[in-house]
Amino acid sequence: MSYVSTPVLEEDEVIDGDFYLLAKSYFDCREYKRAAHVLRDQNAKKSVFLRCYALYLAGEKRKEEEMIELEGPLGKSDAVNRELVSLERELSTLRKNGTIDPFGLYLYGVVLKNRGNQNLARTVLVESVNSYPWNWTAWSELQSICTTIEMLSSLNLSNHWMKDFFLASAYQELRMHNESLAKYEYLQGTFSFSNYIQAQIAKAQYCLREFDQVEVIFEELLRNDPYRVEDMDMYSNVLYAKECFSALSYLAHRVFMTDKYRPESCCIIGNYYSLKGQHEKSVMYFRRALKLDKKYLSAWTLMGHEYVEMKNTPAAVDAYRRAVDINPCDYRAWYGLGQAYEMMGMPFYALHYFKKSVFLQPSDSRLWIAMAQCYETDQLHLLEDAIKCYRRAANCNDKEAIALHQLAKLHCELGRPEEAAFYYKKDLERMENEEREGPNMVEALLFLAQHCRTHKRLEEAEVYCTRLLDYTGPEKEMAKNMLRGMRSESSFPSMDAEHFPP
Amino acid sequence: MASPPQPTQPPPMTNAFALTPHKVSVCLLLQTYALPAQTTPPFPFSSVSQHNRLGLYLLALTKSYDDISEPKLEELLNQLKEISGSLGHWLIDHLTGRLSSLSAPDDLFSFFTEMRGILGGLDSVVMEDNQVILDPNSNLGLFLRRCILTFNLLSFEGLCHLVTNIGSYCKEAMSSCMPYETRLLDESSNDLETLSEYENMDLENFVFGKVNEEIEARKQASERVPFHLHGPKALSGLVEDIEVVADPSSKHGDKCGESNAYIHPPGNELRDVDPYGEIFLRTNWQVQGYLMEHADAIEKHDSSFSFNSSELVLRQIKKLAPELHRVHFLRYLNSLYHDDYFAALDNLHRYFDYSAGAEGFDSVPSSSGSNGSGRYEIGLIYLGMMHLHFGHPKQALQVLTEAVRFSQQQSNESCLAYTLAAICNVLSEFGCSSSAGVLGTSFSPITSMDTSLSVGQQLFVLLRESLKRAESLKLKRLVASNHLALAKFDLLHVQRSLLSFGPKASMKLRTFPINVCKELRLCSNLISEFGYESSTMTTDGAFSTTWLNNLPKSMDSPLLPQENGHRNNCDAHRFFTQLSTVPKSVLQLLGSSYIMRSTAWEMYGSAPLARINSLVYTTCFADASSSSDAASVHAKLIQHLAVFRGYKEAFVALKVAEEKFLTVSKSVILLVKLQLLHERALHRGNLKLAQQVCDELGVLASSVSGVDKDLKTEASLRHARTLLAANQFSQVYIF
Repeated sequence: MSYVSTPVLEEDEVIDGDFYLLAKSYFDCREYKRAAHVLRDQNAKKSVFLRCYALYLAGEKRKEEEMIELEGPLGKSDAVNRELVSLERELSTLRKNGTIDPFGLYLYGVVLKNRGNQNLARTVLVESVNSYPWNWTAWSELQSICTTIEMLSSLNLSNHWMKDFFLASAYQELRMHNESLAKYEYLQGTFSFSNYIQAQIAKAQYCLREFDQVEVIFEELLRNDPYRVEDMDMYSNVLYAKECFSALSYLAHRVFMTDKYRPESCCIIGNYYSLKGQHEKSVMYFRRALKLDKKYLSAWTLMGHEYVEMKNTPAAVDAYRRAVDINPCDYRAWYGLGQAYEMMGMPFYALHYFKKSVFLQPSDSRLWIAMAQCYETDQLHLLEDAIKCYRRAANCNDKEAIALHQLAKLHCELGRPEEAAFYYKKDLERMENEEREGPNMVEALLFLAQHCRTHKRLEEAEVYCTRLLDYTGPEKEMAKNMLRGMRSESSFPSMDAEHFPP
Repeated sequence: MASPPQPTQPPPMTNAFALTPHKVSVCLLLQTYALPAQTTPPFPFSSVSQHNRLGLYLLALTKSYDDISEPKLEELLNQLKEISGSLGHWLIDHLTGRLSSLSAPDDLFSFFTEMRGILGGLDSVVMEDNQVILDPNSNLGLFLRRCILTFNLLSFEGLCHLVTNIGSYCKEAMSSCMPYETRLLDESSNDLETLSEYENMDLENFVFGKVNEEIEARKQASERVPFHLHGPKALSGLVEDIEVVADPSSKHGDKCGESNAYIHPPGNELRDVDPYGEIFLRTNWQVQGYLMEHADAIEKHDSSFSFNSSELVLRQIKKLAPELHRVHFLRYLNSLYHDDYFAALDNLHRYFDYSAGAEGFDSVPSSSGSNGSGRYEIGLIYLGMMHLHFGHPKQALQVLTEAVRFSQQQSNESCLAYTLAAICNVLSEFGCSSSAGVLGTSFSPITSMDTSLSVGQQLFVLLRESLKRAESLKLKRLVASNHLALAKFDLLHVQRSLLSFGPKASMKLRTFPINVCKELRLCSNLISEFGYESSTMTTDGAFSTTWLNNLPKSMDSPLLPQENGHRNNCDAHRFFTQLSTVPKSVLQLLGSSYIMRSTAWEMYGSAPLARINSLVYTTCFADASSSSDAASVHAKLIQHLAVFRGYKEAFVALKVAEEKFLTVSKSVILLVKLQLLHERALHRGNLKLAQQVCDELGVLASSVSGVDKDLKTEASLRHARTLLAANQFSQVYIF
């Protein structure tokens, strides 16, 4: 493997040292235009970069100001960074002349991206990271314009450990969680004390729904880095899912003391109130989080959940929709939309959303089950489609074991005893493996007993009946009757089963 | 706006008036208009009529302040040149000079203080000689007052922006218009002559004949753009009407004036810049009005205009106004009419997710109560109609039943009525056999129905039911359209004479056209009531733009081209749109009632009555009609021509129609073409050709989307006739 070696920076500061230092001080004081002006005649690479970067930031600053000044009645204004055009012109000449350094390339890439020229931006950024790989901002700019796996694999990146960081993060963004996890675990071998890697691993595990592991990782992370707020919203989600009241309240208190005006902090507090069932307060904190960061995806989704709890479905729909428009790949929000519409009694309308969510996350059985239930409603009554969905759910790791039972029931309803028996048996086996009992067990046993009996597999039927005897309730009596009937049948084989209607 | 998750309302109408460089220009012109006449050489006005003309022009400009995009300085200058003839140069110099002198914030301050001087005060009347004092309550005065008020309210930031904008406004014009300027100057001698004829003319009363002569003369003189009124976009009707004269290729184009310059920017104008790049953010009012117009245009022009261009505009509006959800609805419409199923579906869902349907559905009177619960039922109706449009009757019915259930649940009676009408629509489009199963389960009026009824009977019962509901709820438009549907039902379920044209044997029909007409008259009666009602949906600026679209028309009515083969008197239409605020959808309904009448008479065998009704349609409703309706009327007229004037004329007309409906509903026109060809071939004894045409008809009958039974019958009938003509009786027997 060929690795890029650490470059030796040219010592050109000697020549323009004073100007450079003056400009840098202005820059640090956020007097960007002034800094750029000081460097107007300097040609050293470093000075050129600082000048361009200062101009870029000056443009950004002015843009933000104009955004507020010009804010139209409908929300947004069309303010643009006015420096972009001239910067693009200058940087492209520099690149053509070959007198541009990796940082200049990075800035050029940013400018190009803002101007909407993504293809060239990618090429330029790749050039930048290939010649100087330690600039993580360049990597993350690159990642933001690689939206498909094809784009990612078409990048011509030279080998470097920074590339692994980049790939891991990009995989995560592209929802290839297993690949991402593998990369991070590999990196952890080298950087064994990195909090960053640990947090990223937690993120990947979270997406794979391994909550127990996530909790362990976060506990350790908080020991090493007790004032961390970053990523803690995810930890709070895990605690919420596991219903750890006190741990969640402890976490909320901690982040609140560290920095209460972080979107993450507000989100954690919102989660806490939600767990406590105080949905109004919870909504208030989610709103605050959104005020701090309007594009905070999970806050929109969580707020949608709260509105659902508060039975304010239109508001929930609105919140979910905003989440979806921020990131169309957020299957939770799609699922939420579907649920909201189903709650309102519009199952057909809801199907559209469920379809979207299962398309994005086909391995999640809960989504398939929700969709199947939608098909199953009295209004639609499309049982065949429901069966298809349940079958998909059963193939995924269906933890709550709803799918098998429903499949059996639906087949039974549609008059297909063979299929029904098959699924009841499967369900039964599963319950035995997981050592679960309950009404489903009774139902399965009863059906199987009757089914075997009608098909003259009396011994099998007897086994099921005997097992039924362990339960209380009317089924026990039915089993007893059945046993009795079967015994008399076997003594008078000529008699037909019809005399003993099940 | 981080968190408006309550069912969103349209944003409040703040900032309904924004000061722009264009408005400053208008103020400058106003000043010129109102200042005392100077006696020193560059005196502005040589005659009273010149002065008046500028006044009228200014009136039009101030009226159009609500339009979404304002003209650039270059355009304004060109208009000025054309409006004011010899004075033009002086005006232009004056205007540009004054504008470029406004380079610091303080200049603006003194300018607006000056402007206050030309407003007539309430008490201090210091009249100078010849000075026109603007009445503060006149249109111009109001405009000026609003400008001054807005200026006074401006923050310093706003002031700075205005100064910068004026700078770039001038610079743009200077840099881009020079070549044009010189070219136009060359032509100006040519123009001045013709323009001088206008001088003595009262704008309100054109001398008709004279203008026509003038058109002729001008056409001979130059085929180039002679009277090129480079209107602000709102005045586009005027521009385009005139251009029809100038541009020979568009001779047979839309006669009643395209109402929309955004959609069809006239190609030969010097607008080399992308017209859409110019949309900057205006007030809510303006954007909404623009969206309404856009929606109309999409519906009317069907797929004949580019999907991408309007998508581009919409996306830009979306970017600028993220809280304006109507844009999604327009995107839905756009993709619907361009047959993009997935985009349509997505946008429809998005629209109703955001606004809960509370934004912009105006057919339902607000009294029916949509208090906070949202109007998802409306979303369901739209979804149903969308499935119908894409030819999924089964899904459509499923959605509509859901709509029935949901609106019952919300006790939204009017929505229920609409849903029923929509179901009728589905049933009549597709005789859906599965409907009984779907409907029967949940809907009470239908469950009471005997399921053994045929689809037709079911439809009839449903129609009656829907009509009854609509009447009791006083939903006029719905009542009218239900009457229409009933009439259509009557027409469809009639014993039809098999020979669709040719000598009319008066056959005894079960349905009399009188009955149909009675139904239809009921429909149009109700619509005429609409005129008196002010409860129309002019809530969003659409009205102000209509006004402007019609203003130029009334000014220039005689300029409408008289030469294209069809009748093109637009007076009736103008009457409609101008006198009353009858919404377009109502006009459309009314229009289709005339089509129906025409069909009724056609079936009954009264060709003249059929023709008259078709003519009424084309003259009065062509502007409001959808292109498919228009196409079918054209088809009728062409058939009529063929019977009474011979094939030659019919084919000429057919050619015109084919050009007009290039892509849209081609099938109707194509069908007529084939029919005509067949008739003529039979007539001339060209049996081979006749046979060929028959085969093509057969192909048309069973297209990819399904088999059209009527068409199939017709094809085989025609085949039989061909065989008859060829004396092959034995084969005819088979049919």
